[in-house]
Amino acid sequence: MTVATRVAAGLPQRSTAWSSGVARYGRPIGLAALVLMLGFLTVYPMAMLLYGSLHSTPPGIPGTFNIDGYAGLLTSETLIVLANTVGLSLIKTILSLALAVLLAWIIARTDTPGRGVLEVLITLPFFIPPILTATAWAMLGNAQVGTINLAWRWLSGTDGTLIDVYSYGGVIWHMMQYSTPFIFLFVVDAFRAMDPALEESSRMSGASRWQTFWRITFVLMLPVTSSAFILSFIRGMESFESAVFFGTPVGINVITTTIYNSITQRAQPDYQSATALGFAAMALMFVLLVLQSRMLRGKNFATVTGKGYAPNVTRLGALRWLTFAICIAFFLATVVLPIGQLLLSSFFQFFGFYQLDMLTLDHYRSVWRNRDFWTSFGNTLLLGVSGATATMALGAIVAYVTTRTRWPGRRLIDLLAWLPWMMPGMVLGIGFLWGFASLPHAIPIYGTLWALLLAYLALGTPVAVRVASAAYQQIAADIEECSRVHGAGWWQTLWRILVALAWPALAVGWVLIFFGIMRELSASILLYAPGTEVLSVTMLKMWSGGKPEEVSVVGLLMLAMVLLFRWLQLRFLQRRIRTL
Amino acid sequence: MLRRTFVTLAASAAATNANAQTNGEWQQVVDAAKKEGKLVIYTATLGSPYHKAVVKAFEDKYGIRVEMLEARASEVRERVRIEQAAGRFVGDLHHNGSTTTWLMMRDGNLQPHGPIPNAKNIVPPYEADEVRIPAEVISYALMVNRNLVKPNDEPKSWKDILDPRWTGKILSDDYRALGGGAVFFVVTYDAFGKEFHEKLAAQKPVFSRDIANSERRVARGEYPIYIPFSLQDYNQLKGLPIKPIVPAEGRPYVRFDLAMLKEAPHPNAARLLMNFYLEPEQQLVLANAGYNPVVGGVVEKVDPNLRPLLATKAMGTTVPERQDAMLELAKQIYK
Repeated sequence: MTVATRVAAGLPQRSTAWSSGVARYGRPIGLAALVLMLGFLTVYPMAMLLYGSLHSTPPGIPGTFNIDGYAGLLTSETLIVLANTVGLSLIKTILSLALAVLLAWIIARTDTPGRGVLEVLITLPFFIPPILTATAWAMLGNAQVGTINLAWRWLSGTDGTLIDVYSYGGVIWHMMQYSTPFIFLFVVDAFRAMDPALEESSRMSGASRWQTFWRITFVLMLPVTSSAFILSFIRGMESFESAVFFGTPVGINVITTTIYNSITQRAQPDYQSATALGFAAMALMFVLLVLQSRMLRGKNFATVTGKGYAPNVTRLGALRWLTFAICIAFFLATVVLPIGQLLLSSFFQFFGFYQLDMLTLDHYRSVWRNRDFWTSFGNTLLLGVSGATATMALGAIVAYVTTRTRWPGRRLIDLLAWLPWMMPGMVLGIGFLWGFASLPHAIPIYGTLWALLLAYLALGTPVAVRVASAAYQQIAADIEECSRVHGAGWWQTLWRILVALAWPALAVGWVLIFFGIMRELSASILLYAPGTEVLSVTMLKMWSGGKPEEVSVVGLLMLAMVLLFRWLQLRFLQRRIRTL
Repeated sequence: MLRRTFVTLAASAAATNANAQTNGEWQQVVDAAKKEGKLVIYTATLGSPYHKAVVKAFEDKYGIRVEMLEARASEVRERVRIEQAAGRFVGDLHHNGSTTTWLMMRDGNLQPHGPIPNAKNIVPPYEADEVRIPAEVISYALMVNRNLVKPNDEPKSWKDILDPRWTGKILSDDYRALGGGAVFFVVTYDAFGKEFHEKLAAQKPVFSRDIANSERRVARGEYPIYIPFSLQDYNQLKGLPIKPIVPAEGRPYVRFDLAMLKEAPHPNAARLLMNFYLEPEQQLVLANAGYNPVVGGVVEKVDPNLRPLLATKAMGTTVPERQDAMLELAKQIYK
């Protein structure tokens, strides 16, 4: 039995009157509800920010409208910052994409040994708080006493320096540790869900393995790889920790560090400049989106059709040990080195001081006894589970409307869902604060968990929409038409066909959003209230309070959760698609 | 207008001490505070266990529940500002650095606190006024790595860091951004002039804004010297090969102030906590954490490791009115 026939079987019949009512009113009501919801989540905070960028003072303080914020951007200093930001993000995205596609192909389409375990292991860096990997790499790769350089000097007998993380290369490398697993997670299921018939045809027509990969596999993967590229590129432009940790000490400034300076490093925070720079960054990103949309327009990428298919793997022979070695090398460089450092440090009194008399379990005890930690952990779990579920549900619906219907207004919905991703997080956080605090007091959002949940929903929607639409684009329309012909309604078709077929990708999206929520700080610190603390705020408190070792313990706990989630997810996946 | 405000505030400050409340009148404040039963503090002392200890002692003594909203200085300020602009008066007490507090006072986010009995114990150079009560003081020193800097080579004066042997070997908080680096810049600029900083710029100090990490980088031996080192971080680094040094000229410092937020829902509880902060026992908790106390008779009781550092001369502090101009000047010198 094929995947398509299995999920489409046995749909219950609906009454004709109910169906016609839904058909007549359901669409406009549904569309209006979507537009309203996305408008509140995205346009409303953006409008507050636009006001801030065009007004001499932030909301609530008398001032005048002017364009000083934008005029101030036309300096050589800002242009250098923009060029730095785009350059760094472009290089790291290209490198990460190449690496992630290679790894995804190895894991999903080859007979490389141990790939089930490798799939979980190589995604781990994405889930570690960036401040922790930055600290670990600062110890491993500083020019003076970095572990790697000390080892190099000992081995080579020279005084030379092999690597220096305080450099452009260091910023790119640190960003790559997040973008490679991110893109990998994004594309691996697309590789897995691909019908190999086209590749087989290519091979039978005489194309080499490389030609087949490049002309068939790569082209078919374009929607998902280009989506991942754009998301990762934009995220790179909004990256803060890598630049502030490894770039700022050597004079490398990017958009986010400049915005941070405008808000926090002056006696009088300059919200007008910060928000104007945010909108300038957004305009740049918008151009990218238009380019991606043009590139994909009018093409059909469906590989999951009503015909049954059996995903298979490429037998690599002895080469499988080479692909295995590539995965292990990536795992060693991005997981074992920094996480090993974290794990080791969590058992010593001080991060990076490995003396026997400093061995301790105090950091674990301290986190265990920390009431703030448990409160924030509970809040974050609640927000993570509800937020990721609600965001994926919203994303699945928005993606359906934008990719599978010809409804008027679908482009507007797509754009609305994209907006939060294009605005740097620390600026958007201010937009949420201004927006939610300014709501009528009768609407109980500000100062409650709802404020955080709504902010997370807005911040996660772009990922959810991209994940869902990339998955839908692989599913041919004929299965859906088949479902409708058999009498299924809109909801039933969405749920029983599209979601059922796309669920492995949606599950990955859920995990991405869940851990995105666990890490989110910019909006959280501006929206939390006493009693609604979240984990990222508690971790910042630990960090600021001089307890990086306790942050390591929490980071390791988060990693354990990731391992559990991914294990459950892959187990479930393997049960569903036994052919892999 | 601004000048007149400050003249008024200065006069009120004197009056604050002069008008110490009688026990009976203060008891009415205590009773009213207990009746309010709750207090919300907005504080920029993110993650400090010592301030939490003071707050806990307050809760235990008076049975008043305290909620703390901790965030970074500018985030605290923006939250208060937008909440008040939207008519949401949630917070009672504001606890932040003197520059941010001054800006908030100027913008009308704070209100006079009324007489505080313990304000009479505050010692110069720290002083209270009608709106602000100094709570504790962050003092800045030099920090050296003991393995890399021999006792004879330790800087004795701030000017010793200009010695060519330290070229490229000084890790520092950034003077071009609000924080300890900016305080150090203002105070040493006022004391030693522009020439000192031009020479220091030629020493090519490496700037980093992650203070906790910078201190550990020096402890690990990446750099021999870190400036400016906040003395309240000393306790957390005990056991590492570092040594704080207060040079002969003294220690730059920055004051943390307590102030009552406009239309505070629990004004009496806020006053009670302001008064509680100034009690010698609570000041000793903070002093043992490395903060300079603002009341007399406390330094003498401090842990012997910290006492010699805290008992040093206060060299000077930042001036909020000049802060942005000084940050601009630092940008010109340290390009």
